[in-house]
Amino acid sequence: MGLRKTTAVLAGKATGALSRVTRRGGGTTLPGDVARAIDPKILTQLTQDLTHGSIVLTGTNGKTTTARLVTWLLEGAGHRVVTNRAGANLIFGATAAALDKAGADGRLHADWGVFEIDEASLPAAVQEIRPQATVVLNLFRDQLDRYGELESIAKKIEKALATQSETRAAILNADDPRVAEIGLGLPRDPTWYGLEDEKVASQTLPHAADARTCPHDGATLIFDRVYVGHDGVYRCPHGDFARPAPDLTATDIELHGFDSLAMTIHGTRVEIPLGGLYNCYNVLASYAAACSVGLDGKYVAERLKTFQAAFGRQEHVEFRGRHLILVLSKNPAGFNETLRTAVEAAGGEHFIIGLNDRKADGTDVSWIWDVDFEQLQDTATTVIPAGNRAYDLAVRLKYAGVKAEEPQTDPGQALDLLIETTSEGDTAYLLCTYTAMLDLRAELVRRGWAQPYWET
Amino acid sequence: MSDTKFTIGWLYPDLMNIYGDRGNILTLQKRAQWRGLDATVREIQRGRVANVDDVDVFFFGGGQDREQALIYDDLRQHKEHQLQQAAKNGAQILAVCGGYQLLGHYYQTADGERYDGIGLIDVRTEAGSKRFIGDVVIQTDIEGLTPATLVGFENHSGRTFLGPGARPLGRVLTGKGNNGSDRTEGVRQNNVTGTYLHGSLLPKNPHLADQLIREALRRRGDGELSRLDDSAELAAHDWILQRARRR
Repeated sequence: MGLRKTTAVLAGKATGALSRVTRRGGGTTLPGDVARAIDPKILTQLTQDLTHGSIVLTGTNGKTTTARLVTWLLEGAGHRVVTNRAGANLIFGATAAALDKAGADGRLHADWGVFEIDEASLPAAVQEIRPQATVVLNLFRDQLDRYGELESIAKKIEKALATQSETRAAILNADDPRVAEIGLGLPRDPTWYGLEDEKVASQTLPHAADARTCPHDGATLIFDRVYVGHDGVYRCPHGDFARPAPDLTATDIELHGFDSLAMTIHGTRVEIPLGGLYNCYNVLASYAAACSVGLDGKYVAERLKTFQAAFGRQEHVEFRGRHLILVLSKNPAGFNETLRTAVEAAGGEHFIIGLNDRKADGTDVSWIWDVDFEQLQDTATTVIPAGNRAYDLAVRLKYAGVKAEEPQTDPGQALDLLIETTSEGDTAYLLCTYTAMLDLRAELVRRGWAQPYWET
Repeated sequence: MSDTKFTIGWLYPDLMNIYGDRGNILTLQKRAQWRGLDATVREIQRGRVANVDDVDVFFFGGGQDREQALIYDDLRQHKEHQLQQAAKNGAQILAVCGGYQLLGHYYQTADGERYDGIGLIDVRTEAGSKRFIGDVVIQTDIEGLTPATLVGFENHSGRTFLGPGARPLGRVLTGKGNNGSDRTEGVRQNNVTGTYLHGSLLPKNPHLADQLIREALRRRGDGELSRLDDSAELAAHDWILQRARRR
């Protein structure tokens, strides 16, 4: 058994080294494929080498940011952490990450594993990794052509959590009705977290909110507060389903555009250079995960002050005198929040909206009609539709009553048009789907304004 | 804005809205408003509905399985009669995906279980094993429709077959359509337009949107629509046509 594991590790590592040399995809998943072919149990074996254990995170939005937050907190406390970066969040990506940190002796020399896991892959991941804690962030509609319906994803997560042993923690978002339904059905109580601040809430659900009916009697849920998407404070009018009381809350929330936010968790004031109400959830989840594995709240608050966002998630780039803020926006719930942050909190005037329909973005772009681009009507002066589906975006913006520039399918021309239509000192927001962001960023790199992302 | 009212009736907007269906609603509303009509959207939820005589165009979209199960009884109990009357009186009904299936005779699951629809159109649907997912281009023979193509995106496992009373909306040039075997897509019958095309459907097919508005107005002896600048919409339409040709 030991020999097989060592062979798998070495073969996987060799693949990783090779793909990095040839710059083929940064070696984020292929080594996992190779090693798993030799030893299918390799991920279980490697994660057993961890001195403390693993934390697994799943959900539609916020996985990468939250995993990065948890890693940041553990590393700051002196732990050696293995984590799957760059959104390589299938089981192969997690395996590749573990291989990368394994030594020539075939053992993983680290204390913690922090893995963001695609919702559909959670059952396999939990079975193989056996995490100390599993965090479920939220469940929104996302890439229906790839994932299918929300319900089948929820069922998979439910199954994964139900099979975990009693000593393992489940940390769930109480504000998400579909996540709450999962948690309320578990054999033991999870740790619930949620926001508790009326002044950042609205009263109405956005268009096409999911999970708006009671799981027991199908009645339309009443939302007393709406924070993000369908996440808020809700109840069935017949009293048989309601938002669980959170064990950990964020109160007194202060939002400063994409620059920073502050909130009080359990009596501790937390400030972080990360913007948007949606990131309150990510910070709160990471706080809960960190505390569940023994980190001190005061330490967590101190450490979060110096956090840096992941690729394309509120990245700041200077480009010919313009200040660009790159924000990944990949589904209706996410897009509505990044738009809201850009418009309401930051007074955004200049935008590139990027929409691609490659596999990683989702090949069906009909979801743009669920995004409230109407938010741009009043404040935006420059809106450039970009990406290979720029023409669809242009139609969407037209029907939203937003005056947009000519659609630009070429990322270079989109950037050129931005320079033409803005002045030095302006701030522009680049809200893009995954590969549309990669394309724009690659163009910025080519022009020497940003670092290639595998070096950051 | 003129006094001519134009009402869009959106069936189950909270539950049957899976594939960006709001795009169809917005397109109908804006294009009516741009013609000076007083266009409003009336949301038709679960429960008893008093009177739908004011509705010119109904829209019935697709839902996720869980939501679809929630409206199934309600449709037959509270909407079937009204929709039949409305269509008879000349109102237009546009149904996409799940909504399309429910207006037919039945949907049969892989286990042979049948869910009856309301039989407004002569179609039946059976579950298929593989989902049809991707771009669709169809050629229509609706008189006066220019261009004669409709474009969209399909994502369905149901196989829909037309009976003798139904005419297809068009012939498949790219994609799968109703069932992947007879090259038909959608249906036109009794003032009902049913289709698997979303994307959304109407924003990239403004000529079809206008056709529905025109036909709905015709029952009032109206029906002429002024021309709009559709260059943005048709550019998006053409982009799909061109990609389909390249493949």
